[in-house]
Parts: sequence; structure tokens; C-alpha cells
Amino acid sequence: MILLSRRHLLRTVGTGLSTAAVGGAAAVAAAPAALAAPRTAPADAVGMLYDTTKCIGCKACVAECAKVNDLVPDTELSGGLWQMPADLNTQTKNIIKLWADPATGQTSFVKRQCMHCVDPACVSGCPFNALQKGALGIVGWDGARCIGCRYCEVSCPFEIPKFEWKKFNPKIVKCELCRHVLDRDGQPGCTRVCPTGAVVFGRRTDLLADAKARVAAHPGTYHLDHVYGETEAGGTQVLYLSHVPFEKLGLPALPDRSVPTGLRHGGVALKLIALPVVLYGVFLGFFRRNWKVHEEEAARLKAEKGLEEQL
Amino acid sequence: MARPASRATPLGVPLGVPLGAPLGVPLAPPHASVIHRWQRGVSVREVPLVTPWFLLFAGFFVVGTAIAAFRLFGGSLASFAAMTDVYAWGVWKTFNVMALTALGSSALAVGLAAWVLGRHRLHSVMRTALVTSFLFYTTALLGLLTDVGRPWNFWNLRLPWRWNTESALWEVALAMPVYCALFLLYENGPMVVEKLWNARSDRVRGWVRTWHPRIRKTYPFVVPFAYVLPIIHQSSLGGLMVLAGHKVHPLWQTDLLPLLYLVQALICGFGSVIVVLMTSCLVWRRPLDVKVLGELANLMSWTTLGWLVLRLGDVVVRGRVGDALAMDAFGVLFLAETAAVAVPALVLRSAHLRETPRALYTMALLACLGGIAYRFIPTTLAYAPGAGSTYFPAVPEIVITLGLVATVVGAFSLVVKRFAVLPAPLESWHHAVEHDSHAHPSHRSDAHGHAVHD
Repeated sequence: MILLSRRHLLRTVGTGLSTAAVGGAAAVAAAPAALAAPRTAPADAVGMLYDTTKCIGCKACVAECAKVNDLVPDTELSGGLWQMPADLNTQTKNIIKLWADPATGQTSFVKRQCMHCVDPACVSGCPFNALQKGALGIVGWDGARCIGCRYCEVSCPFEIPKFEWKKFNPKIVKCELCRHVLDRDGQPGCTRVCPTGAVVFGRRTDLLADAKARVAAHPGTYHLDHVYGETEAGGTQVLYLSHVPFEKLGLPALPDRSVPTGLRHGGVALKLIALPVVLYGVFLGFFRRNWKVHEEEAARLKAEKGLEEQL
Repeated sequence: MARPASRATPLGVPLGVPLGAPLGVPLAPPHASVIHRWQRGVSVREVPLVTPWFLLFAGFFVVGTAIAAFRLFGGSLASFAAMTDVYAWGVWKTFNVMALTALGSSALAVGLAAWVLGRHRLHSVMRTALVTSFLFYTTALLGLLTDVGRPWNFWNLRLPWRWNTESALWEVALAMPVYCALFLLYENGPMVVEKLWNARSDRVRGWVRTWHPRIRKTYPFVVPFAYVLPIIHQSSLGGLMVLAGHKVHPLWQTDLLPLLYLVQALICGFGSVIVVLMTSCLVWRRPLDVKVLGELANLMSWTTLGWLVLRLGDVVVRGRVGDALAMDAFGVLFLAETAAVAVPALVLRSAHLRETPRALYTMALLACLGGIAYRFIPTTLAYAPGAGSTYFPAVPEIVITLGLVATVVGAFSLVVKRFAVLPAPLESWHHAVEHDSHAHPSHRSDAHGHAVHD
């Protein structure tokens, strides 16, 4: 081991530390971003309000959804006779399911489709922004950007996106709130055909006020007097009122903070610039110092044994 | 205690530590054996390139590659994989990428020890670590390519405005190929340049004379990137599962996943280089340097103890001790996985056992298995529990995964037979030089024997 002179050491480590200092300064500049505030819904965010007490399970919405979205109805379970999807799938962006408790005789229908989260995990994880929150806060999919990694399926807390496993050019299939016909029809197919008003379309703020008014008008009717989606996972643009526990309908109990919010500490400047630069600077200092040691040892090896060092 | 009988190897080097001694033969304590200092990388020349074992690995490689090609160029994922919309990630991602790149972190772990901590003795095993890392990363990327449904859109990588800088998967998708294709190749470069010199062609040697000094000049500035990138993407791999939120069992789901995945990569990195070195020495009858191996084991043990403080501390702070001791499937899985890394860490605190080959080999292997388990379980076994769907890899998935692992082993055996990778004592280097009957590149003499000065 060859000892370096103090000056030598200071100079070599100094290079690295000054590089690190640049990164450190950037980190300080980025510090305010460290307190990432939870995201809120855009002012014009639209959504749906579904009320289990009004749904009669007619599935008009399921049929209309397939029609408006050019989906071949899933008739597999019925032997090819009529549309009968077992669950959301690549032919079914919207479904009515029945929950029944044989012990108490309690039943409820539930409509499932994309929740259009205020801060969606799928959008946060999508590597090339194939899933994005577009106009009106609708979460839409762009096939030109999607690499088919299926991270959206892994990250979605509601298990909504479906992947066309059987196709060579697979797409991600999920409800996009009929964004392609909103200008023409003013609302998605499902809400347009609902005969009882069990599911209605509107601005999220209006829907939330409507839901709260219903809870106030019928105390004790709705589970926990709570609007599901007001706060769950940072809030969703599709809201639910239910007379049975939400978990029975497949709506999981979720913390108020969205998962992406927790991952956003520091922000891009810290993560992509400051941190790598600091790391590079620190390593550069160490490498330059130890490179000298390496060279000295190599010279000694060559003098003694006639061999060069190997990197 | 009797000194172990020296067995002559084809290299003429006595096998100091009889790792390959039949079971039941007592092992001599290391200090009683001939001490071998690993000093230089020396190719394994005494063994033919193609052996029955190599053909086996090559066979797996060919079958795996053929199936992967069918999948890539003409088949849907459904016809090759058992993945579902619930278990949307199968073994190609969860095993080849998430778990096995931890074994491929040996270049990161050994390099940090050698270059940053100044453990200069470990430079002798750096090439082994670099080749191992390169192969594990390359096969992981091939697995990823087979796995994605719309691989043609990978070209989005060239359009920065399409990047989602918030996504951990974007970090992995960018940092992993760049690390592998640029920096791991660069770090493996000197080994190739040295080999080119041995080709004894004046033109090639002229080229080497140009490039060798350039690599050396840029080395300390370029190589730090090879440490920044894996630190970023190995922690991002842990970050991937954080986004899955409540779908990962609470014993594994924590905001600390990125840090835990990164430190586990270091543990697996040390572990894999120990296993690779000892297996190679066993298979190709090389002498062991118990001091170097012991140093690696010591670092692995300390890293693991630090990791255990984080891991167990996290479980305690989050109030999940009850789950850990529940003795249900998840609790048992947690205890087994933790024991698999904790036992080696504790056993290898003994300096004597660190330098006892059989104990070291067993413990390093156990630590690697525990590390792989830790990185695999949150993605599959502890993922979406109770979602009413099951996943077990389909046959083509397993064949491709095995093919990728076989590629690592087969390609490693090819590389070490043709390049000066595996560490050996000085005398075997002289032997190798005589075998090639040429001088070493960096002797800096030209083809006519004239000295060349920088």
C-alpha cells in the first residue's frame, strides 16, 4: 500500500467532492419539491356516481358499452347465445355483478369499470406515458407508446386494466369513459341507457355533492354514510354509494393517500439530477484516489515481476 | 494435523485446499495448507472448450432461444405463458430480472469494496465479478424482451419527451440496458484488449497500442457511472412493487423496498462471486485463495447484518411482528427467507469458518438462495394474496428461464477458457504466457521488440 501525500489526497478527493457539491446544491434547490402535495382532481374532472340502491341489474349498460366501444360481446359462458361475461375482460370494459350472502339473504348489484383515479398508480408507473390523465381527468391509453409491460395491471389497486394475452399485437383494454363519443353524446353509453339513474355522469364536484345529499336525505341507508371514491387512494372520479359493505362489492379499503404520492418525495430534479451527480462525484473522488494507488502498485509489480496489472 | 497431500493439476500447481476432496475426508484448517495468493486472471487453457456439460448448457440455450424467438416473432403471450391479468408478471420478469440481477450485482458489490473501501486484494476477482454481472444482466434483458407484449415500442426510449420520469419501471428500462451495454462492456474491455494483443497480428497490436492507453486514461472518469447506474436501477426494482400497494402482503410491502432491494443486491453480489469462484475452482481444479474469499465473506456477512437491522426493524416499526410469527404460509415464508440470509451472516462472523471452504461455500450458496427468495417473493408468492387467481409458469416459460440461466453458465465457461478471467497465483500466469508464447500487451514493446513509451 502506497501512502499518498496529503496534498495529493486533497486534490484528488477534492475533484470528486466539488462535483458532489454541485449535485448537493441542486438537491437543496429541489428541496421544496420534497414535500410533494397530494394531487387533486382537475377542476373540469368528470366521472360517474353509481348507487347500489337504484340498480336493478338489467345490464343495459353492459350491452351498450360493448356497442359504443366496438367490442365483440363475450358470449362464452352462454354457449354463444347472449352476452354473459364472467368478469371484466378484453371484451368487457363494464360489467354488472351480483353479490349475495346466503346467510342473511342480503344482495347487491355492483357496476365495475375503471375508477379514473385522481392520482392513478397505472399512470404513475407507465414507463412511456402510454396511460395518461387526459382532458376531463379521463385515464386514456395510447397504443403508440405502450410496450406491453403490464405494470398497469400490477399497480392498479382495483384490478381494472386487461391485457390481450391472446393477440400478437396486444392492447390494454379498460373503460375510457367513452371519450371518443363524449362530444357527440355528452355522456358515456352506460349512463345514457341506465333506466333507473343508478349510474349518472357529471362533473366530479357535482356528483360528490349529489352523493352527499343522498346520504343526508336517507341516513342509515348507505354503508358508513360514506361516498366510496371521495378519498380512497387519493380519490377517484367514479364514486359509489352502497347499502352493503364496500369490500363485498370488490371495492377494497384503501388509505386516503395515493400510493404514487408516497413515491413522489424529492421530485424529478432530486432523483434524476442531484442524486446521480452526488453519487458520481463521491465515486469519482474515490476512484481517482484509488486509481493512483493502483498505478503505484502496478508500477511496483512491473519492476519486481515484469508484469503489468490487469484491470 | 496432517498437511493435505498436494495433488498436481494440469497447471502444475498443487491444489492447496482440497475443496473437491471426497466427503468424509477431514479438511485441514486453511493455515495448514499451502497459501495461494490470487494475483492475476489466467484463462482455463487445460480444459477443452466443448465438454459434455457445455453441450448440455448449449442445448438449453438453443431450445430456450428458439422458443423465445417463436414467441417474439409469431406468437401471443397466451400461447407461451401462464400469466393472467391478476398475475400479470411471470418468471421472466420476477425471476430473471427481479431476482437474478441481484446475483448479477457482483460487479457492483466487489467493485465498491475494491475501489471505494480500498480492499485492493479484491481486484484479483474483479474480472470474475464483471463477467458474471454482464451475463446475468444480458440474459435478464433478453427475458424482458421476450416478456413485453409490444416490444417494437421499446424505441420510445429514444424519445425523451415520452419518458415518464416518475416511473420506477422507466428507470429500470433506461438504466439497465445502458449499464449493461455501455458500462459493463467498457469495464470488461481491458480483458478483451489483452486478448487481442495475444492475436499476434501487427495491425491488431497497433490498434491495441492506441486504445489500451485511452481506456486507462478515461477509466477513473467513466467507471463511476458503472456504480451510479446499478445503485439507481437496483433500488428501482424494489420501488416497482411499492406501487402495487395493498396487493403485496404487509410483511413485504414497505416504503423501504428500494433500499432493501439494493442492499440485498450487494449481499447477493458478494455471495454470487464467492459461489462462482469456488465452483470454478472446483470444476477446473484451481487453487483457492482463502484470504480473498474470506474477505468477501466478511463483507457479505456485515452487509447482511446491516440489511437484517433494516428488514427486521421495518417489520417491528410497522407493527407486523404478529404476522411474522403467525405461523401461516406467509409467516413461515418470511421466517425461512430471513433465516436463509441470517444464518450465513452469523456463521461467517467466525474467521475460521470464513476460511473453511466447505462452510464458506454452503453459507454463500444459502445466502444467495435467501437473497433470490427475498427479491422474488414480493412479486409472486406474497403478491395479490386471495385474489382468486393462481399462477404457475407454463412449460415454455420455464424452458426459456432455464435457457437463460444455462446461457449464463455456458457463456461463462466459454469466456473463462479463452480470456484471462479466473484469478490464479502468479506462477500459473507465467505458464499461460509460455503457452501463448507471446508477451503481455502492456509490456509496451512493439512487434519487433522495441520498447514503446506512453
